[in-house]
Amino acid sequence: MTEALRVDAVSFRYPDAARPALVDVTLEIEEGTFALAVGPTGAGKSTFLRVANGLVPHFTGGSFTGRVLAAGRDTLAYPPRALADAVAFVPQDPGASFVLDRVEEELAYGMENLGVDPAHMRRRVEEMLDLLDIEPLRGRSVRSISGGERQRVAIAAALAAGPRILVLDEPTSQLDPQGAEHVFAALQRLVHDQGMTVILAEHRLERVAGQVDLALGFDEGRVTAGDPAAVIRRLAMGPPVARLGRLVGWDPVPLTVRDARRLAGALPARLHPVTPAPGDTRVELRRLSARHGDAGALRDVDLIVGEGEIVAVMGRNGAGKTTLLRSIAGVHAPASGTVQVGGHAPRPGIDAALCPQEPESVLFAETVAGEVAVTLKARGIDGVRPEAVLMELGIADLAAHHPRDLSAGQRLLVATAAIAAGQAPVLLLDEPTRGLDPEAKERLARFLRSHAADGGTVLFATHDVELAATVATRVVMLAGGEVIADGDPASVLGDSHVFAPQMTRAFGPGWLTPEQVAEALA
Amino acid sequence: MHPGAWILWATCAGMVTFTTTNPFYLALIVAVAFFVYAAQRVPGPTARSFRVFAIAGLITLVVRTSLVFLGTVDAGNVAFAALEGARLATLLIVFGTFNAVTDPFGVVRLAPRRFHEPALAAALALSIAPRTVAMVGRVREAQTLRGILTSWRTLPSLAVPVLETGMEEAVTLAESMDARGHGRGRRTRYRPAHWTPAAVVVSVASVVAAGVFVVAAWTQRGDLHPSTSPLAWPQVQPALLAAIGLLALPAFAPRPREEP
Amino acid sequence: MSAATTARPMSVRTLTGGSRLRAGALIVLNVVGLMAFLWPFALPAFTGGNENHHADGPVILLVLLVCLGTLLFVELGRGGMGPKAVALLGVLGATMVALRLPGFVAGFSAMFIIVLVAGNAFGPSFGFLLGAVGTFASGLFIGGLGPWLPFQMVAVGWVGMGAGLLPRTGSWRVRIWALAAYGVAAGYLFGALMNLWSWPFLTTGSAVSWSPDATAAENLRHYLTFYAATSFVWDTFRAVGNGVLVLVLGRPLLGSLDRAARRMRLEVGGDMNVTPAPSATREGAVDVEDPAPVLGAPRGVPVGR
Repeated sequence: MTEALRVDAVSFRYPDAARPALVDVTLEIEEGTFALAVGPTGAGKSTFLRVANGLVPHFTGGSFTGRVLAAGRDTLAYPPRALADAVAFVPQDPGASFVLDRVEEELAYGMENLGVDPAHMRRRVEEMLDLLDIEPLRGRSVRSISGGERQRVAIAAALAAGPRILVLDEPTSQLDPQGAEHVFAALQRLVHDQGMTVILAEHRLERVAGQVDLALGFDEGRVTAGDPAAVIRRLAMGPPVARLGRLVGWDPVPLTVRDARRLAGALPARLHPVTPAPGDTRVELRRLSARHGDAGALRDVDLIVGEGEIVAVMGRNGAGKTTLLRSIAGVHAPASGTVQVGGHAPRPGIDAALCPQEPESVLFAETVAGEVAVTLKARGIDGVRPEAVLMELGIADLAAHHPRDLSAGQRLLVATAAIAAGQAPVLLLDEPTRGLDPEAKERLARFLRSHAADGGTVLFATHDVELAATVATRVVMLAGGEVIADGDPASVLGDSHVFAPQMTRAFGPGWLTPEQVAEALA
Repeated sequence: MHPGAWILWATCAGMVTFTTTNPFYLALIVAVAFFVYAAQRVPGPTARSFRVFAIAGLITLVVRTSLVFLGTVDAGNVAFAALEGARLATLLIVFGTFNAVTDPFGVVRLAPRRFHEPALAAALALSIAPRTVAMVGRVREAQTLRGILTSWRTLPSLAVPVLETGMEEAVTLAESMDARGHGRGRRTRYRPAHWTPAAVVVSVASVVAAGVFVVAAWTQRGDLHPSTSPLAWPQVQPALLAAIGLLALPAFAPRPREEP
Repeated sequence: MSAATTARPMSVRTLTGGSRLRAGALIVLNVVGLMAFLWPFALPAFTGGNENHHADGPVILLVLLVCLGTLLFVELGRGGMGPKAVALLGVLGATMVALRLPGFVAGFSAMFIIVLVAGNAFGPSFGFLLGAVGTFASGLFIGGLGPWLPFQMVAVGWVGMGAGLLPRTGSWRVRIWALAAYGVAAGYLFGALMNLWSWPFLTTGSAVSWSPDATAAENLRHYLTFYAATSFVWDTFRAVGNGVLVLVLGRPLLGSLDRAARRMRLEVGGDMNVTPAPSATREGAVDVEDPAPVLGAPRGVPVGR
């Protein structure tokens, strides 16, 4: 077997950067390997992916040492466009990377650049449509398809020109569980049925950790390549089963639900703990119906949320989660029924503050502290220093940074700080964990808990089952605009197949977090 | 039909309109333009172009006629100005049809190889624009929720996030294009636009029509500019009417396949 | 360690690849383009009076379009832009399109602000390209294609180009005020030019009309009257609007664009050749600049600093 990728003592530093992004990286990836790059944000995963196709250093500039052979070609001698037929690259946000409007044409774009003749292009396009299972989408506009479909179209477009190496940067960070499933299934097919080499970087390891052949652990620019269980064991934040393994001392750590069950044996059903009674009613929806084109309408929703509750609103895309949050915030007028926050119709931003799906859409100041200060000033709040708000989210050290220089996770925390600074008692977050690394997620969870403990109320819409399992005191499930489940996380999540956390899948309803299981096994 | 044929048609129809102020010819051209529009319009945002241009034409007619009142006013002058206005209005209506029947992406796709990059940039601008519009709405709502109401002084809170996000998306886009071989060498086309027989016929007919009118203008025949002092009833020549009729041919071209 | 790390403004010299012939050709082309706009004043000097100028109408228009077409052809057909420039043009062009949608408020079109700041941030060549491409795209989008399009593309392109030639160094205040003043001037000039080329076609036979027999001074007087009666108010809205927008948004937007240029490693006209070590040793570090020029210089022509 030949090597798909060979990296020899590569060090790289971005221009104007203080620290190197990659330090003395040496590894080999054989053809047909399914490789996973893991590690904290900023450790060098994205940089490494771009080394494989020449974007580093040709696109980014900077100081580069060492040699990389991708499909046998030296990436220093071959700029990215010369590697386009050897290495396929799919960025994190494929929607932003589409060049043409229709799916079919997007698939052909790469081949057009390579000068492939039209007859051959037609054949390849058909093959790609079948391979990625997107044939029904061929005439659709790329803007009209779902997130998971977009990822698959991006993969197909990158592969159409015939590369044998596929490199993906966090392909499932923006996707719901079904979309993620489809993408991983497609990747599996590519590796096992087509013999392709796939290298991907991911934070959400629950689904993929058990499927890969090789893991690359990144830590401040250095890479350890090896057996997935060994590499993931060393991570501070791995998938729940791996965290469980670390807590309990298993070696190797389990990477799948099945492995965990085998190692642990059966566990008794977990008695549902008594959840503390919620305080005074803060949010009340009675027979609320709302209309909204894409985001999903609401139908006859009844919901009462009290002080101190942290509610996870879950459901498929289009089930109405965003519409629900926006109705509570007061920016979406009900078609019928009532919304009351604090006893009256919600005043936007004052009774309930909403952090939107794209948190960077609110960032415009020059510094993080400045961002918070803007909200304080706009709400007329005196006597609170921006740094104090930042401290609640654990990002006081970022006060002087430019918000746009930060990672996705840090940006979300900044946006949350800027919005929470308005001191609205009800805090609403729409899909906060999109593209979020585990450290930032942890900080967010801590903040939500303290906000609720101080008498606030939190509602967040999410696909992230693990976050719901960790931090929510209550879970509400929406489908088709109606509430189909409403109760404590253990029972609601335990009852669902799609939305069950890993611990529940492994050990049954009632088991939500690795910490709980570890305690029981001790 | 090949966009090039449409461009040729619009150019020739425009030239024909330009050569004359005879209200009968103009009226027939308007009728032809409407006929072609009704038969060949492409659904989408450009469909309402026709109405927009028709209204613009009407306004132009009114404005042009009223310009007369800056000088001496008599029946002849007013008629002259009205005819000039009518000519401009007809021109606008011809272009209204042109806009309503062309698919914007089609025009971009037909760019010759030399212009691939600017044409691609234009296509990108077209695809990205709806996203940008939606983003402005979202940013506005999010900032309002923070307590920042839209006004002159708070424009940066609206403009900066949109631009910054756009810049970041530009980086992703550029990376993706680079990784897919942009600028590598000679390109080929996935579905090259073909000159169908219908397109050829329409093109030839359009050129003939324009040619007839240019010849008529040079030889000063056909009462292209009816006299307005003294005021005289305009005459028409059947040959010229037939030439205008040629411009109606695109209405009979087969319509493109409908895509969802 | 790479030496130049910020986007440097592009001088006219690098715009043309340093070649004097190219510079000359570009100037000639732009002058020809300008003549196409100023033709009502220029034409009588060339033709010396023609009785039957009604027949000339379409022919004159065709000639003008050919002149402008050539200018656009050369400027847009240079190639070698590279993915970064195309992506930037696409994104910024989209913003222009989006800003045109709300419609005009008496002549004020917010899309000018994009051309002004982007031209100032990325240089005259990019400014022209953005003006032309953005105008074309927004024409396509709102369904406003017509014979006026080449004129509009060139005129907006010139606005962008001029913004790129403005001073970029010095304090922010100087930069913003210079740009604002330019925005106001450009607003009027744009309106005047756009009116001018079509003026003779719109006003034959009236007191404010163009006449090939009249002298340039008489024509000018007629035109100014026409302009005052029709376009001046609109253009004032536009000019003032531009100025105000630059003063309000100029600094934050320019800040964003400058940062984007830095992040994208826009070495406009800088050293462009990668020197790959054929077999890089472990000791030798290779400093890499972006090998493809972002804008301006034709492909394959090395551009000197």
